[in-house]
Amino acid sequence: MSNDSQGLDFSTVIASTVHDMKNSLAMLMQAHSQWLSRLPAAQAQGPEQAVVEHEFAHLNGMLVQLLGLYKLGVNQLPMCPDYHDLDDFIGGLLASNQPIIDSREIIARYEIDAFNPLGFFDRELVGSVISNVINNAIRYAGHALLVTVAEQGEQLVLSINDDGPGYPQGMIDRQADYVQGINLHTGSTGLGLYFAERIAALHERNGVRGRIEIANGGALGGGLFQLYLP
Amino acid sequence: MLVYSQKSFLIVDDFTDFRTSVRSMLREMGIRDVDTAESGETAIRMCGQKRYDFILHDFHLGDGKKNGQQVLEDLMIDKLISHEAIFVMVTAESSQAVVLSALEHEPDAYLTKPFNRLGLTQRLDKLVQRKTLLKPILQALDRGRPAEVLLACDNLCKQDPRFAPLCLRYRADALGALNRHEELERFLKAILANRPTPWAYAALGKLLFKRGQAVQAKEIYEQAIKAFSMMPGLYDGLADVLAAAGETRRAQSVLEEAVRLSPLAVRRQMQLGKLALGNADFDTSSRAYRQAVSQGQNSRFKDPESNLGLAQALIQKNVGNGLDARTRVELNQVLGDVAKEYTDDQGLQVRARLIKATGLAQAGDAETAAKLTEAAVARLENMDQFFSAETALAVAAQLQQLGQEAAGTAILKNCVEVYGDDASVMQSIAKLTDDPTILGAGNEAVDLNRQGVRSYQAGKVGEALEQFRRALALQPKNISIALNTAQALLRMAGENPSSAALEECRACLAKVAGIPNTDPRYERYRKLRIRAVGS
Repeated sequence: MSNDSQGLDFSTVIASTVHDMKNSLAMLMQAHSQWLSRLPAAQAQGPEQAVVEHEFAHLNGMLVQLLGLYKLGVNQLPMCPDYHDLDDFIGGLLASNQPIIDSREIIARYEIDAFNPLGFFDRELVGSVISNVINNAIRYAGHALLVTVAEQGEQLVLSINDDGPGYPQGMIDRQADYVQGINLHTGSTGLGLYFAERIAALHERNGVRGRIEIANGGALGGGLFQLYLP
Repeated sequence: MLVYSQKSFLIVDDFTDFRTSVRSMLREMGIRDVDTAESGETAIRMCGQKRYDFILHDFHLGDGKKNGQQVLEDLMIDKLISHEAIFVMVTAESSQAVVLSALEHEPDAYLTKPFNRLGLTQRLDKLVQRKTLLKPILQALDRGRPAEVLLACDNLCKQDPRFAPLCLRYRADALGALNRHEELERFLKAILANRPTPWAYAALGKLLFKRGQAVQAKEIYEQAIKAFSMMPGLYDGLADVLAAAGETRRAQSVLEEAVRLSPLAVRRQMQLGKLALGNADFDTSSRAYRQAVSQGQNSRFKDPESNLGLAQALIQKNVGNGLDARTRVELNQVLGDVAKEYTDDQGLQVRARLIKATGLAQAGDAETAAKLTEAAVARLENMDQFFSAETALAVAAQLQQLGQEAAGTAILKNCVEVYGDDASVMQSIAKLTDDPTILGAGNEAVDLNRQGVRSYQAGKVGEALEQFRRALALQPKNISIALNTAQALLRMAGENPSSAALEECRACLAKVAGIPNTDPRYERYRKLRIRAVGS
């Protein structure tokens, strides 16, 4: 190692620790679900169970995001776009969140209104962004969640709608600051927006970069998150 | 949910808990035929005995074990799984696995841990749907018929043009296999103009380089790395182009970048060791070769050249300083492994001994070094196999260094005879000797051979044959001349060659039977031999 003399590089320490935390969390989740499957139904379901599942997913999403931000920082986030089946992609993201969605008694559905069954993007990166947004929407949603995919000109638009109270007005007004990383003080949501914007911007075609947008209203009247991919 | 009850599954993971958990998910899906393995080595054995429809393979199975990518490569190259089978790479962190993957062999899907039954079912359903859609293409691939692959791609695109993107890669591979180079080049360029992907860049770079368009290949790779800076396979391609153009320093630094991104790659480490050795950067070289040797233990790309390279780098690193105890132990180990494992390969045996002797001489044990050298020289005299030009020159230099001038000169003379028609080999030989009797030994034959080629191309085969025969009489072990003579003989003889013609043909091919199988002319030699012996 050539930079031994400079002492510990703290961001590398965090990154490797987060990597271990993620593995550890995966084992924990695995063990937990096996344990649950052996419990009688009455005990396996309950409000605590919903919290545990949701927070597991939330923690996992945050760790993935943290690793992603670290890699963005050191310019090592691998970007490998390809064609992916949109139905498979969105369906998969919802399926992996289904237990939480069920335990919160939310009805989640998705609509794909695109001529092309295939979209062109990095599945892992966009998947981690959308998964975090879905997790967030589940937290604030009343009873409904809707993911839509549509084409707008040459762009693919992924929208996540919920029927909750929506984003705080201040956040919507200052979203440009969040996505530029200027104001990250409102905790994980702000950081999430920043991460989402960076991932979106890695997708570029003929000089057009991907981007994100947040708003209130949308199809379900609550929060609306949109990801544009060129 | 699709019906999986008739399907066979293999779960590969080193954690018992994980295997149990996935097995119970599969049970809930109604799947009964589920096998498990705790290592990739076991998985490969099992795939040799049973055809699995689905393989769920963990990427990282512990240090010193094959990882999921290596297992996938082994299964594909050895045709132990059908193209119709579904291989899912299970990872803790998928972005890492992507970097470590090779562009040639990608899994059907990555699945990030943790996942639940619904997530798994949904993924599998979709993969089955896709494979069903692509079935005609996949079956043609299993049969090894690229022309049928193209036809199947055309049919699918006609059925539903929206699925055309799924065919891109199959189509490119098939065009490559059919040597339809111009078409492939246009096709890849169109892909890159529309939606650039790392694999399309790599394929175009490789194609251009193969067709001698090194400058364009270099540009493509540089453009590719700008767009996809985390894909090590692109760096490998650029390094190849640079090395071939003689820019060995830049090639080395490009490969060092690739190794930083993805150090687990036997061939990449070996290539870096070789470049660094040539650049006299012995620290980098020994480090890279050491990695190649240790990673090679569980890889199909294990190569004794890495052992010999490591030994060379260690010795040269310490020139003038003797050898410390640790280095001596390492030298004995890596050279001993070659001597033990490749007993049938005379060339390797000789080279391992010569390198060992050089090490001993450097460590101050002149007596043992001399004995070992003599034994190696004796083996050398009885060797039927030709060294490649590169190896021959390395051995000659080593012999000179060990004070075996005569043996070194013999190797050089032999090298002039075998490869004398290759100007670049002659240039390298000139660096080791300025003896005009060696350097000029092949001139007359090479000149006659050149005249022969000209006559042959002009359609004067009889004249060509006479020129080749005269050249061959001067330098009977020259590979090019021998192959040219054999070809002219067969051409003259026509449909029903006389036994005398075949006899002569066999005789001249027998003289060059020692041609290394790494030689670019090996395939031509093999085909001529079949015709000379077979008919």
